Amino acid sequence: MSAPFFKFGAFGDEASLVVAFAIGIGFGFFLERAGFGSARKLTDQFYFKDLSVLKVMFTAIVTAMLGVFYLSWMGLMDLSLVYFGPTWLVPQIAGGLLLGIGFVVGGYCPGTSMVALATGKVDALFFVLGVTAGIFAYGEAWPAIQGFANATNLGELTLPQVFGLRYGLVVFLVVVMALGAFKGAEVLERKMARKEGAV
Amino acid sequence: MAILHETARLDPRTAADGKTVARREAAPYMNPYLAGVGLGLVLLAAFVVMGRGLGASGAFSSLVAWLVDLAAPAHARANSFYTDYLESGAGHPLKDWLVFEVLGVLVGGFLSGLLAGRVRRTVEKGPRISTRGRLTLAFAGGALMGVGAKLARGCTSGQALSGGALLSAGSWAFMLMVFAGGYATAWFLRRQWQ
Amino acid sequence: MRLSLARIAQWSLPRRLALAAFVLGALAIAGDPYGGGAVTLHPHELAAMVQKEVDHVTVEELAGWIIQGRSDYRLIDLRDARAYAAYHIPPAENVPITDLPGDTLARNETIVLYSDGGIHSAQAWFLLKARGYRGVYILRGGLEEWNGRVLHQTSPADSAAPTVQVPSPPAAPMAPATAPKKKKKEGC
Repeated sequence: MSAPFFKFGAFGDEASLVVAFAIGIGFGFFLERAGFGSARKLTDQFYFKDLSVLKVMFTAIVTAMLGVFYLSWMGLMDLSLVYFGPTWLVPQIAGGLLLGIGFVVGGYCPGTSMVALATGKVDALFFVLGVTAGIFAYGEAWPAIQGFANATNLGELTLPQVFGLRYGLVVFLVVVMALGAFKGAEVLERKMARKEGAV
Repeated sequence: MAILHETARLDPRTAADGKTVARREAAPYMNPYLAGVGLGLVLLAAFVVMGRGLGASGAFSSLVAWLVDLAAPAHARANSFYTDYLESGAGHPLKDWLVFEVLGVLVGGFLSGLLAGRVRRTVEKGPRISTRGRLTLAFAGGALMGVGAKLARGCTSGQALSGGALLSAGSWAFMLMVFAGGYATAWFLRRQWQ
Repeated sequence: MRLSLARIAQWSLPRRLALAAFVLGALAIAGDPYGGGAVTLHPHELAAMVQKEVDHVTVEELAGWIIQGRSDYRLIDLRDARAYAAYHIPPAENVPITDLPGDTLARNETIVLYSDGGIHSAQAWFLLKARGYRGVYILRGGLEEWNGRVLHQTSPADSAAPTVQVPSPPAAPMAPATAPKKKKKEGC
């Protein structure tokens, strides 16, 4: 097995920046294709009018998850060399809530704001300035909050470990859950569309 | 199963003679499932080639750390939050993987928008809010996001997508809370969007 | 609804993708992405490597690496903890052969193995090679040769306080063998 290629020394740090740029182009391209350069389309998710955020996110997760699983199982890549961050349970829960609120207030998330900025949205510019200000505030407050921010580090915890299930079984369950969510999303969107039409 | 979202936008301008002239229609968005597969393959490529996932908020952090270091080096060096980003990025944002990735996002987003006729200087907002109100909330939302992303060690691209694909417990918990936070607040912000 | 291939071919692309995902997910139940502890041997490849002696490092070469202060490899002492405590080559880490491959040994690292002679290190070499480790090397002659040729000792028995001819490198560049890599921020 010789993947991840970078971890096996296939290329150096400078080349990895070119890789970063190329991957970023793909990332931004598909985000915009999906319509995520539009705050209205993104926030429609939270008003049940357009559940594309759910569809795109979970499709992407399932695709990458299956890819990683099969490549690792077949011995073509070494999963233990892929970066896996620790679980900081309480900070991540708090951060998630703040992010969700920020999503509806601001209309974007950091990645999509870049796409929106690239396609001319002035509000995305203000959003980006806000993110920068928020991180600066966080940095300045760091000495005071680092205790909280570094709390509840559960290490590199996987869902299979949490539920005591085989990795492969969790993969299957995630796929089933995603497919169920997609079906539910279609039903919900149709209902909302009908309601709108009736009004 | 798929509902194609019609997004042709007519931007009526009234010509001098009173007739409305429609702008070139923007192309309809790609099917979300197909876009999701595309995104998933890009993420998979990152895993296979680099051994890491995607990200966005980290690039902002590098930028902030670099700016603070520029303006007040002693202060930056004394703060472990800034030094963390300064040291790993070799001291300059342009040497940081995520910064290059985010630059790519800008280019890729622009490319797709250009191809679809969706590049236009505009302010995205609902009909019931003023531009000033929208821009203020955009800034405020961004600030909340900035704090949230640092606490969570990532945002939707880094934590939710990348960590989610690797079945990280923290990433899934994070993802759940993002949706929860969004839905809980949606009603209060409805005037901005609907 | 009868599921015939002809029927499926008429489904929309997202629907077919959903079916593919379901099938792949179901097949995944039996799998293990971590390699499951299984050992794969490619006999001819391994035999060729053994014959060419490509994976040997001489004690002189190792001494040279230590003097240069190189930190791009990991030196593993395969003996038990007591022998390790009595004496070990300065930058070596103790991973008894029973603990291989071990949590801390990554498949993309350069690993040099040694034991008293060459037998355990050769066996450990096979173990790691079969588990997919790429950069695995054996210290030719092991500690016996190290004592004889580098430390100028007549027998390994008086290793209580060896006179090290190789100047001891400062601890700093040696200890964190993988530290430079770990410093790189890979989170978000």
